[in-house]
Amino acid sequence: MSRIATSPGAASAEAIAPETERRGMAPAAQTGNLAPDPEWLTRRRAEAWAIQRATPFPSTRSEEWRYTDLARILPLDDLLPRGSGRPRVDGARGGAVHLPESVRCAIARDDDCAGRVIEMNGAVVSVELDPELASRGVVLDSLRRAAHTDPRVRAHLATEAVPATDGKFPALNAALWTDGVFLRVPRNVDIERPIRLNRWISRSGPATFSRILVLAEEHSRVSLVEEIQSPDLDRATLAHAAVELYARGGARVRYLSLQRLGHGAAWIANQRTLAEADSTLDTLNVALGGSFHRVDLNARLLGAGANSDMLGLYFGDEDQHFDFNTSQDHVAPHARSDLLYKGALDGAARGVFRGIIRVHEGAQRTDAYQTNRNLLLSEGAVATSLPNLEIGADDVRCSHGATVGQLDAEALFYLMSRGMSRERAERLVVTGFLGEVLGRLPFADVTGKVTREIETKLRATRTLRKTG
Amino acid sequence: MPSNEVIQGLGLDDYKFGFVTDSEPVFRTRPGLDADIVRQISARKDEPEWMLKRRLKALKIYEAKPMPKWGGDLSELQETLDQTYFYVKPQEQMERSWDDVPDSIKETFERLGIPEAERKILAGVGAQYDSEMVYHSLKEEWEAKGVIFDSIEDGLKNHPELFRKHFGTVIPAADNKFAALNSAVWSGGSFVYIPPGVRLDTPLQAYFRVNQERLGQFERTLIIAGEGSRAHYIEGCTAPVYSTDSFHSGVIEIVVERDAYFRYTTIQNWSNNMYNLVTQRALVRQGAHMEWLDGNLGSKLTMKYPSCYLMGEGAHGDILSIAYAGDGQHQDTGGKVIHVAPNTSSSIVSKSISKGTGRSSYRGLCKVYDGATNAKSNVECDALLINETSRTDTFPYIEIDERSASIGHEATVSKVGDEQLFYLMSRGMDEAEAMALIVRGFIEPIAKELPLEYAVELNRLIELEMEGSVG
Repeated sequence: MSRIATSPGAASAEAIAPETERRGMAPAAQTGNLAPDPEWLTRRRAEAWAIQRATPFPSTRSEEWRYTDLARILPLDDLLPRGSGRPRVDGARGGAVHLPESVRCAIARDDDCAGRVIEMNGAVVSVELDPELASRGVVLDSLRRAAHTDPRVRAHLATEAVPATDGKFPALNAALWTDGVFLRVPRNVDIERPIRLNRWISRSGPATFSRILVLAEEHSRVSLVEEIQSPDLDRATLAHAAVELYARGGARVRYLSLQRLGHGAAWIANQRTLAEADSTLDTLNVALGGSFHRVDLNARLLGAGANSDMLGLYFGDEDQHFDFNTSQDHVAPHARSDLLYKGALDGAARGVFRGIIRVHEGAQRTDAYQTNRNLLLSEGAVATSLPNLEIGADDVRCSHGATVGQLDAEALFYLMSRGMSRERAERLVVTGFLGEVLGRLPFADVTGKVTREIETKLRATRTLRKTG
Repeated sequence: MPSNEVIQGLGLDDYKFGFVTDSEPVFRTRPGLDADIVRQISARKDEPEWMLKRRLKALKIYEAKPMPKWGGDLSELQETLDQTYFYVKPQEQMERSWDDVPDSIKETFERLGIPEAERKILAGVGAQYDSEMVYHSLKEEWEAKGVIFDSIEDGLKNHPELFRKHFGTVIPAADNKFAALNSAVWSGGSFVYIPPGVRLDTPLQAYFRVNQERLGQFERTLIIAGEGSRAHYIEGCTAPVYSTDSFHSGVIEIVVERDAYFRYTTIQNWSNNMYNLVTQRALVRQGAHMEWLDGNLGSKLTMKYPSCYLMGEGAHGDILSIAYAGDGQHQDTGGKVIHVAPNTSSSIVSKSISKGTGRSSYRGLCKVYDGATNAKSNVECDALLINETSRTDTFPYIEIDERSASIGHEATVSKVGDEQLFYLMSRGMDEAEAMALIVRGFIEPIAKELPLEYAVELNRLIELEMEGSVG
């Protein structure tokens, strides 16, 4: 996109005073070139911190973490920020932003967009927005700054969507978040091109916490595409995001999250979508990179006519561990939700899907569907699938399905009998399997990126297997 | 949507067997449970030392394990347990002939609708009255074949080696809290041994009946189906209605040896104040075939997940499950299939009906271990909701460690459609008939699996529950 308006965002995230942290007190207000948190935010952080302290880390004893032993994946002590590993921003102090090569590459492959936010190690370093949209009242900003300038942040941040009371990570995030994105689209404003968010984690160390807050007013339309990257990290490092998406009556919101972190990185996201009457709130989670990926996604259908399409795509190899925990809450009658999560697992990768459709009492005429399909490509791969239903109304259409299987031998044979090598035939069948989700991606550049990445991974593991 | 009167008219909730007959137990322990009571039970049964030790060990495990927090609501269970008589012995002697069975007990069976003529046709009738087998017979030709169909107590006395070899191997006491409880206080139940190659054409039957207020019934059944044998065992339960909660926790262990076929049928119709927490499990060896046919109509809360451990190559497990949850009932049922060996296959078909404030939950596990190559499993769950207040859940667990496995799970939820009702009524049926026909059609795939011989009692029971008084 053409560089229209540049605002060097909240460049620093000297977030947390380590000593107070050590003493178990709430993190203090921030320093740096931003004003300290407003008083309401300081108070909210302190409350979240108290909740965090009272909440134990998830263990496999709890149903929601039964198949993921977090303590074995992440050094939990590292989760909390420490003096030495405070989130910092590389080379971005108000001036020009020096982007790492891989982020520049990713941006170069993007089609045109309506705005872009770049966040590095938990701090927003650049915000751009089409001035025409800005003039129509669209707000795209660093969340830290918006907390000062936009009263809607106070009204919606960590309140209804991802409050601290939701669990350990929501609480940690609400207390420790350093920055993130605030996006507000006024009534009737229709943004066709996506807003993009690039996140970069530069090195291993303590956890980073950031947030996304999207408010789409009545009959507006917006898409947010998030891409998160890092180099390979020498030890397990957590990046956490809390994602709050509001679609008011008749609004159309799309959120795509593309996770391409390096080896060693751990990604945990708490996402909630609140869809009011006649709104459409679609999500897509693509998990390709990182050593560990966990998403807790809750879609709430709050008004008649609300609709949520929930897509997921994962491709795991080596020792990658993907864990999706989704829920579809039908609070209001006459709403629809449709979930499709598909994944292929190679090497010693592990995939966990746990999904639940909850049809609340009185939510008659609900249409809710849930499908999880897994392809196991190697002896060492493991898939676990728990598609659940809780139905409290009688006039509903609900179904769910789950499958686990291997590559279709007949399809492989057919392709190979046409002269294709086994490797190529396998690649084709896997891509075809994932194509059901890929084909539903709204943006061609995202589809291209995902397809390329999957093919690279397939080629790598196939070659390894041949030589090894 | 049919009117409420029509739904009432179906008579789904009428409990036909809610009566009490007077019979004085000969001996019972005081309410509650401790090591002393376990010793009393063991002493009463004149058990060998090893069994007493096992019981006491199981009691310790039971006390150490926390109350499960998943499944149904067990928050009031402890109170019930504190008032439960863990052992009631109705008679001193085992009855060998029908004529010797006391009239009051006979009356109970009469009212359950087992005519005497029927009993003679039916091969073996082990009738459990309170906590002990009181009536037990086995056709002579079967005895000649070497089939053992005894009370569990006699199994221990008369076949100690066989008993000790298998007892507690399929379901160890440490398996879960209620298996531990049963292992500590078990009383009554059946011991069945089918010698290799023996095929039984008529089913073995045991009738269970709880007839003592606040009586905990802890039946324990151990079945060994020898290599290449073929048999069918049927267990059905009804119980009188009482005002205080009652408790039933059985343990059923089955070993299906190589190439054998075994089917276990349960139709559970406990009264609506009963906690029914049962562990049922079969070890299925190479080439063998196990079938669970599990019907849950009664009880306040049932938590029961019959399971097949497919241990040998080519083993096959089938679980057919039907649940009916009326007002205030929660049926938390399902099945588990565990694939350990290559080329094993399994299928779970579950049908549930929720009516009024009833809640039915399917809870199941399909686990394929690494090395169980080419394992195949298919799970289908269908739920039918009758009222707005009815509730249904599906909680399948699918854990696959083997690439070559092929696993599918599907579930649907539906209500009795206005169109279906309209269609049938346009053909001249009244609403109740139409409703009954739809419900019957829904459960038919499972109901048809019930053996004809058993229809006299059990099909009637299902029909009464499901169909009610039509018209």
